[in-house]
Parts: sequence; structure tokens; C-alpha cells
Amino acid sequence: MREEHSEMSEDDERPPPDHGSGSIVETSNKCRSSLGIGYTADFQPPFPDQVLENVLENVLHFLTSRRDRNAASLVCKSWYRVEAVSRSELFIGNCYAVSPRRATNRFTKVLSLVLKGKPRFADFNLMPPSWGAHFKPWVAAISLAYPGLEKVYLKRMSVTDDDLALLAHSFPSFKELVLVCCDGFGTSGLAVIASKCRKLKVLDLIEDEVVDDEEDWISCFPETGTSLESLIFDCVDYPINFEALERLVARSPSLKKLRLNRFVSIGQLYRLMIRAPQLTHLGTGSFSPADLLAQADYELEIASAFSSSKSLVCLSGFREIIPDYLPSIFPVCANLTSLNFSYANINAERLKSVISHCHKLQNFWVLDSVCDEGLQAVAATCKELRELRVFPFDPSEDTEGPVSEVGLLAISEGCRKLQSILYFCQRMTNAAVIAMSKNCPDLVVFRLCIMGRHRPDHLTGEPMDEGFGAIVMNCKKLTRLATSGLLTDKAFSYIGKYGKLVRTLSLAFAGDSDMGLRYVLEGCPKLQKLEVRDSPFGDSALLSGLHHYYSMRFLWMSSCSLTRQGCVEIARQMPHLVVEVIRNVDEEEMEDSVQTMYMYRSLEGRRDDVPKFVTIL
Amino acid sequence: MSSKKITLKSSDGETLEVEVAIAVQSQTIKHMIEDDCADGGIPLPNVTSKILAKVIEYCKKHVENSKKEDSIEEEDELKEWECNFLQVDQQILCDLIHAANYLNIKSLLDLTCRRVADMIKGKTPEEIRRTFNIKNDFTPEEEEEVRRENKWALE
Repeated sequence: MREEHSEMSEDDERPPPDHGSGSIVETSNKCRSSLGIGYTADFQPPFPDQVLENVLENVLHFLTSRRDRNAASLVCKSWYRVEAVSRSELFIGNCYAVSPRRATNRFTKVLSLVLKGKPRFADFNLMPPSWGAHFKPWVAAISLAYPGLEKVYLKRMSVTDDDLALLAHSFPSFKELVLVCCDGFGTSGLAVIASKCRKLKVLDLIEDEVVDDEEDWISCFPETGTSLESLIFDCVDYPINFEALERLVARSPSLKKLRLNRFVSIGQLYRLMIRAPQLTHLGTGSFSPADLLAQADYELEIASAFSSSKSLVCLSGFREIIPDYLPSIFPVCANLTSLNFSYANINAERLKSVISHCHKLQNFWVLDSVCDEGLQAVAATCKELRELRVFPFDPSEDTEGPVSEVGLLAISEGCRKLQSILYFCQRMTNAAVIAMSKNCPDLVVFRLCIMGRHRPDHLTGEPMDEGFGAIVMNCKKLTRLATSGLLTDKAFSYIGKYGKLVRTLSLAFAGDSDMGLRYVLEGCPKLQKLEVRDSPFGDSALLSGLHHYYSMRFLWMSSCSLTRQGCVEIARQMPHLVVEVIRNVDEEEMEDSVQTMYMYRSLEGRRDDVPKFVTIL
Repeated sequence: MSSKKITLKSSDGETLEVEVAIAVQSQTIKHMIEDDCADGGIPLPNVTSKILAKVIEYCKKHVENSKKEDSIEEEDELKEWECNFLQVDQQILCDLIHAANYLNIKSLLDLTCRRVADMIKGKTPEEIRRTFNIKNDFTPEEEEEVRRENKWALE
């Protein structure tokens, strides 16, 4: 469960400001003195519609956030029309909420498509892989509607090689392809993209499941030279043609971001680094020699490569690290803003030697092998830290665990600017969580995963209610929360009472009764995405949220206490909600209890690609 | 070195003598000069003298700036100057947009349109309507349909 895809999580973004800058009242106040004209703040002479309409497209060009564009489209009919022909980035948060036809009918000049499919819990095998979220109907529609398309970002979609081929053939100006947590395609699809998209700048494959068709896709890029700025393929878990890669890097003078897979050895890394001294983002591949017995001494070479690297700010990889090579990265540490050690099984001592140089670090991902001691070293040096993720080396539930409340407390005391944290541990205390809530007021994302089920505060034996309560109470900017540990309904009453900005909530093995879910559904007006598993919430809890479900992107509940009748009742009362009951692939229908329910609002009604193990009520 | 001048005539009958190098920041004026229509002055029936003066002030600053070396200090100074330049009420801003559009001065058009965009950012549709005095011509049903589509599909 090693998540690497922070780039596309909306909840890690800063919330938009409430007031636009340069409001009319400000300028009026200033002009009163400068022009000596007696305009009061109330009098607003009419802004001739005609003038504004002539230039509206030019004005809207400067509105890039979808929130502002959506507001502009509602002003009046002519604004709606101008906005529709000028929106260049189309964001679709749930591919089933709207049809490709409706989207392409309204927006006619899209350059960039962002499309999201499956819910996040699909990553944890809680849903059979062939559930849906197919890119096919979308690529078919956009290939006709948007010949000038330049960018496609997909998250949790099923993408086939044929889809990639259609993409490559339909868009002569295509520049960026980013696939996050997608599946269904293989190296043959990549080969078509590489060879046909001659203007490609970005090919980012992040946590995808890629099939090995044994296509040498790295050799398929244009021979004469490429425009590549970013090539990320650490998730493509098969050997690649290294000589071809070396030649590719050599003929890609604009390349700034390169993330290699674990089949690239440290000797090969050296050869690539000297060909691309301009890199800003580097994923190092295995960071160990190809042949461990050969004892070729790469230490000096790789150290010199890092010494010459003046532009590196982001370092990751270290997939099979030999810790002896770690000192070679020291020369770049002082400039690093982002460091990902989440595959590096290193201990506290090793970490300390590196982290003591990393004063500018803002993003840090690490394995719990560094222990509380390692985290204390992070806290001592990384005063600019904004995001921390601590992953478990051994994710089984019954181990002692090397990190605990000690590490969390240290981080909270040392890294006051922290905005986002994901912390896996085996034991925790309320006191440490409360301390973090007070020390880190800028927290936007708080995800604490106390592994093992229903674990209380390990010092007091109490539930973790007070800790999570303090987080929602004190962290006024919090938009994303994931809970764990022993939690009673009280924790949820806190969330409902104080979590007024919470948009994404993830609950597992939590709560006593339906009241828990009710508190949340009744108290959190901004709630958009709710994912719940293995919690005792039943039909009456589900029914308490009817007023809110059209405002949510989705609700996921698995291994709770829902019955078929309850879900049927929801579907009956809310005709625009698609209520899916998902079984295991070989299960029969007609079960009364519901294993998994996934529901979302949709403008289109039930989808037409429903697999056999899904029933739409 | 003599700097050639050209006469511009505003809508309210006033004339303004301006260096050619400054006047041709306007593509409209530039084309008229190139097409030899500029003898006796260029009439600008869509621009009042007051606005014309502001436009010329802007063009002059830009010509001056282009002669200086690029530096962060120069950029900051220009930004501050432009910010002060736009300390005007909505009517004048509107007139400036109109003039920049008519005179085809892209940088001024972008500057003024960006300011209008800033006035839109973060506002609800109703607030935007009030700011620019725009009538809502959606029927309640139409508005609800757009609102729903925006919220469910595009957020």
C-alpha cells in the first residue's frame, strides 16, 4: 500500500481564498482621493454589457480555476456560452457522473482533460478489477471533439492499448500523458504513444499496473530528438532496454524529470546522470549494483555525478538500496525540497547522516525502519517540512512497530509548518495527537493509520476519541481526515461538530453505532467523499444522509451492516443517485446483507457497462 | 535625432501630438500609418481625450521600459506602475478596455482584462452580476440545470 501519487490529490491543495483580490470597493476607495471625484462605495455606474462581451473571452482566459469558471458560467446566458467555448481544461471528478457526449457538447475547445474513475478503496483490492471506469467511451468522444487536445490526466481508470493507440493517432499536438493508478494497458500501448506522439513532453506513469507485452517501448521514441521534459516509469516493473534509454536521454535536451524503475542499476544510473546534468527530479532506480558480487566500485562515480548536479531538487527511487551508497547523495541534500525514501530500508543512523543536510526539505516520504529516532532527526533539521508520509516496512498487524507517538510528537514540535501527514504506526497516544493539533495549525490533511484493529491509546487504554477530536477542533484548515484505532461514537460527534471544512473522510473499524455515521452526515456540510469499511453502520445511518448525498461525489461502505432493503430505499428516494451493490466475482445475487455499496450522483442514470457482479438498484 | 510625431484626434474634438514610436504600440494606428491614411491626423471617434491621454501614458511607459535592461527590479517597478495606473473607477476601466480593444494594444488589453478577471475571482454568480450590473436572463429551471451540471460533473 505504498502510495506515491500525491500530485493529483485535490485535498492536498490549498483551499481557494474566499475573496477575490482587487475588488471594486477597494479601487473605489482609492480613487476617491486620487481622482477627487465623489463616487461613494455604493454607486456603481453600469459596466456596458457590450464592451464586456467583446472582451469576455479575453477576461475568462485569466480564470483558470474550475470554481471561478463554474461561477462565470452561471452569470447569464452569454457568459455561459463564452465560458463554454473558452474552457481549456476540463475536469471530470467522476467519469460516471456525466457522459462524454454531454461534456463534449458543452465544451468545444478543450486542450486538457482530467478524468477520475474508481474510488480510492479499489486500490486495496476491495473491488474486483473489472468493475469499470473505462477510458474507451471518453477517448472515442474526445478524438472527434477535440482535435487540438494536448493533455490527458487519468486517475484510477481502465485504459487499454487500443485506447492509447486511438489517443496517439487522434491528436497531432499531443504533449502530456499522465496515468495514475490506472490499469488495463501494457508496453505495447506505451510503444504506440512513444512513436506516434512526436511532440510529447510528458509521459508520467505513476503507480499503474502495466502488462509486459515484451515491447521495447523505450526504443520507440523519435530518433532525431525528443521534446521530453518528464519521463516517469518507476511502476513499469519489467526490465527495459538500457542502451536505448541512454540514447533517449542523450537526445532529450529538455528532460528535467526522470524516474527510473528498479531494473536500472546504480552503474547505469551514473551513465544517465552524466548525460542529463540538467535534471531537477530524479528517481534513482534500484540504487544498487547489477551484480552484487562484482564489487565494481561505483561509489566514486556516483558521488561525482551527484556533485555535478546543481539543479536537483527532488530525489526518489532507492528501490533496492545498498546503504553504503547513500553518502553519495550528500552534495545535493542542501537543495532538496522533496525526498522519497519510502522504498529505502534504512535505519536511523543512515537517515541521520542524510537528513542533517536537508534544511530546505518540504516533502518527505520514509519507511518506519528509521524508527522514532530517525523522525526526531527530521524534526530537528527540516523546519520547512510541509508534507510527511511514514510507511510501514512490515504492514502486518501484530508487530511491535518501530515508530510510535514519540516520533509523531517530535515531528509536531519541530515541523510547525506541517500541512499534510500520513503516519502508519502500531501504537499511539491521544496526548501526541492532541499536541500535533496544537503545534501544527496549518494541517490540511491528517491521516493516521494505527495498524491492528480497534487499538486504544497504548498508555491510557482509552479510545482515540480525544486525539481525533482535537485535530478537528484545532486544525481550522483541515479538509481531509483518515481515522484509525479504537473510536467510539464520541469521535464522530467531534468530527460532526468541528469538521466544517472536511471534504474527504476515511473510516475503518470505527464507531459503536449508527449515531457515529449520523454525526458526520449531519454535521459536515462540505463532505464530498466518504469511504467507510468494517464499521457497524447500518441502514438507519445511511438514511440519515439523504439531505446531503446530492452534494457528495461518492459514498463507499464495505463490510458494514447495510441490508439490501436499506440500499433499495435510498435508491427509491433519490432517483439521481446511482446505488451500486458490489459482490465478490463468484458470489450469487439475492444476498440480503450488502458486502459493498458504492453510490454517486449522476446526470446520466445507470451506466451501461455494468459487470455481472454489480447490481444497480 | 528628431522624433517623428503624429496627431491623434479624440472623439470630443481634442488633438494630441504623440511620437510615432509610442503611437504604433496600437496596431490599429500602425496599420493606418502604413496604409498612408495618417495625413492630417488620425481620427479616433471611439476614444475620448481623457481616455486617450491614459492610453498614451501607458504606451509611453512601455516604450521607455523596452529600452531598459531586463531585471527583476525593472519588472517589479513596472508591475507597481501598472497597479497604480489601474487605480481607476469601473467606468474608466471599462473605457480603457474598450479603447485597448479598438486600438488593438494587446498588452493593455491583457492588463485590463486581467484586472476584470481579478474582480471575478472567488465570487458567486450573484456577486459577479452585482459587480458588473448584469441581468440574469436564465429562467429558474435553466439556472438550476446549469448549477446541477456544474456541481455534479465539473467539481
